[in-house]
Amino acid sequence: MEFVEVLGNRRSIRFFDPERPVEPEKVQKILEAMRIASCAMNAHWLRCVVVRREELDPDTFEKLKLPVAGVIMELAPIHIYCYGDLSVIPRDHGASPKQLIDVGALAPSHGWTHRFVDEFVWPQLLEPLSKSPDYPVAMAFDDGGCATQGLLMAFDLGLGACWTAFDTAAAKQAFGIPDDWVPHYLMNVGYPLESREAGGQRPRPAFESLYFDGHASRPFRRDPAVVKELERAKMLQAPAPLPGRKDELRQLARKLGLRE
Amino acid sequence: MELAPIESYASVVAWGAGLREQWGGGDPFAEDPEKLDSLARFCRYTAQDPDALLASCFLRRRATGERFASVKRREALLRQLDAWQADAGWRGLEARRRRNHVASFLSHNGVLL
Repeated sequence: MEFVEVLGNRRSIRFFDPERPVEPEKVQKILEAMRIASCAMNAHWLRCVVVRREELDPDTFEKLKLPVAGVIMELAPIHIYCYGDLSVIPRDHGASPKQLIDVGALAPSHGWTHRFVDEFVWPQLLEPLSKSPDYPVAMAFDDGGCATQGLLMAFDLGLGACWTAFDTAAAKQAFGIPDDWVPHYLMNVGYPLESREAGGQRPRPAFESLYFDGHASRPFRRDPAVVKELERAKMLQAPAPLPGRKDELRQLARKLGLRE
Repeated sequence: MELAPIESYASVVAWGAGLREQWGGGDPFAEDPEKLDSLARFCRYTAQDPDALLASCFLRRRATGERFASVKRREALLRQLDAWQADAGWRGLEARRRRNHVASFLSHNGVLL
């Protein structure tokens, strides 16, 4: 599938085939996609614990579920619990940017030398950042980007996925989560029972209300020709609600014995 | 426990209205009588009528009188649902469907189990 079509096909899938397992190699590909994502200072804070739902003991599973997420978690055969490891920067002491210099990703042309890392980047930037309240925010932004690559990989592989929250205390106990790991979200993964359209692309705020040109008061102009091009490339697709969506939802609820 | 005709309770009327609003069509209970049957069975099991069952999910804050959905009450209700299912001997899809009839009644009255 073309990249832009993967972007267009992504939906938060909430109905999975609970009986159809996800192949281990597909799970690995999701994780591989996360691993090569862009990451500040090559820090790689994201940590994931992959859990097969069928291997969870029922008591533990009940504790992990939150009310709104419960049905999704029950249907998804694979749960990928995502965390950010706060210990990365304090442990790193500037080793990651130095590694980027050594492999030729960062260069003196942009001011990067080992000495610069030792004299400035570590003591004046990274170490203070790691003690700042901004640190978990920066980490979460990066982790979201990494995790999104995995999410898109899932759709490229014909899977569906949906982020949910989870009971973090129960997960910490069940999966041996270290104290330094900050819980993010859980990626529920499985084969969709919903149609690929899943009712159509979800409503979004107006483009011009989200993106700005040079000044926060000046909306970025949306070129209709670009919109047409992205429609042809199937990135921009028919918006929800598509005809027949309610029938689809009802049939899914009945098939799975869910509430109507 | 004796119940009045179950469709006469305000919370059941609200449930029916919610189902019609969500799914369209005619009388959702005529279309699927098992929904009311499940609710009536659970009401008898817990010795509460539907309105009382719904009210049991809420408490009021002492200071303000504001009504809120009680986590503990809902957890208690979940345990009752587990016991009801087990006593009825339902299994698999039927067990899930019966349980979710009650959950649907609660959802359309603003309570998520």
